[in-house]
Amino acid sequence: MLFNTEFFIKTFFTALKGLPVTLKITLMALILSLPLGFLFAVIRLKEKSFAKRMVSVYVSFIRGTPIVVQILVIYSIVPSILSVVIKRFNLPFNIFDINPILYAYIVFTLNTTATLSETFRSALVTVDKGQLEAAEAAGLTRFQGYRRIIIPQALVAAIPNICTTTTNLIKSTSLAFLMTVKDITAVAKVEAAYGYNYIEAYLDIWIIYILICILVEFAFKRLEKRLKVYKTAAAS
Amino acid sequence: MLEVKNVHKAFGKNEVLKGVDLQVDKGDVVVILGPSGSGKTTLLRCINFLEKADQGELIFNGQHYPFDKVTKKDILNIRKKTAFVFQNYNLFNNKTALENVTEGLIIGRKVPKEEAIRIGKKSLDKVGLSDKYDSYPSQLSGGQQQRVGIARAIAVNPDVILFDEPTSALDPELIGEVLEVMKLLAKEGTTMMIVTHEMSFAEEVASKVVFMDGGSVVEVGTPRDIFHNPKEQRTQQFLRRIIKNFDYVI
Repeated sequence: MLFNTEFFIKTFFTALKGLPVTLKITLMALILSLPLGFLFAVIRLKEKSFAKRMVSVYVSFIRGTPIVVQILVIYSIVPSILSVVIKRFNLPFNIFDINPILYAYIVFTLNTTATLSETFRSALVTVDKGQLEAAEAAGLTRFQGYRRIIIPQALVAAIPNICTTTTNLIKSTSLAFLMTVKDITAVAKVEAAYGYNYIEAYLDIWIIYILICILVEFAFKRLEKRLKVYKTAAAS
Repeated sequence: MLEVKNVHKAFGKNEVLKGVDLQVDKGDVVVILGPSGSGKTTLLRCINFLEKADQGELIFNGQHYPFDKVTKKDILNIRKKTAFVFQNYNLFNNKTALENVTEGLIIGRKVPKEEAIRIGKKSLDKVGLSDKYDSYPSQLSGGQQQRVGIARAIAVNPDVILFDEPTSALDPELIGEVLEVMKLLAKEGTTMMIVTHEMSFAEEVASKVVFMDGGSVVEVGTPRDIFHNPKEQRTQQFLRRIIKNFDYVI
């Protein structure tokens, strides 16, 4: 078994063609999950309510099941539901025309929202209750107080965990091939299958993933540094 | 100008305020004294709706606000005409001293930014912090932070400033600078309600002293009445404990 260097280099660039899909899933999941996760965190911090129980059941469900199972469940259930809906209302499109990336959006958003809601919940409790009281006493509405005082401080505490969630999300998108989504991993697998060059292909995507994650980490570090200027100012 | 009637507040089964009445006129410096757990702080917080009183009514600038019927809008409007100075300062940690002072003006009261900055700087100058505009709370001492807290309160030109034990969290050598600022405000005729344990300060600045115990007002009077001629036994006992060698007969 020889290491096919030529194939290794060629596949690296072929696999990169899957990069937009990987990034699209990641970004879409993040864009939807950040506000949703924050909302769920606020709900969970409130006093007893029905919504609070629902959110906590949801988080337990997501946390308590492997993402592979979530993918398989969503990928089999959602199309069935959709096809019933399509038939019922005589909608003019075919269930098989739906881009499977849609299912990926759903799974990864559900998953990331659960994780981020816990991240935000723990970050919000690090901000002293007095900060919101002071904001309200200063004549700000609760919403303004959250936006201008609480969230900027909570973000500083949340950033390292949001970074971890993001890198985990990027890595998890490699499972999207189970839904026939053509991301980096899927492209590499297909390439490898022609001539059984799995080692080369897997090493390729191994490098791609680590490069992306290093970039993400770097970006978050920069962001963290900027956000916590008010904390580090004392040292200078 | 500000009056509360029959304020009741309970935390669970613990009744903290049992029907408090209190009146504050314009220019008054009302000092509230009392042992810990007597409900002083809770009363102050109820006035600014940081706690929601169960019963009673607030009369503010001629308007009646029953505590159980007050709307969010009412609360916001009352808060825009009052200010609160906290025991542990509660400065916005992510804002500089100047931003702390201007926040309530720009965001809360829609004052134009330049105008707000001008007022903010003036307020900080007044509390002796003209060299700390751009410092973050983490760069300031406790006394400086509390002075920013006071600047934040006076900047909005409130009808009344509520002080909740403003010096209790300070190192002894830093208490003086905060009290000096408050004395200055008292001299200028600022209406204030102050919960404090600083007896000589209270005697000096108060126009009215309120002694609370067990969730009720026990005695109200001039500083002279309360400190030198208290009528109620509970007041006498409290003052004797607080002030060493206290003698209530002149």
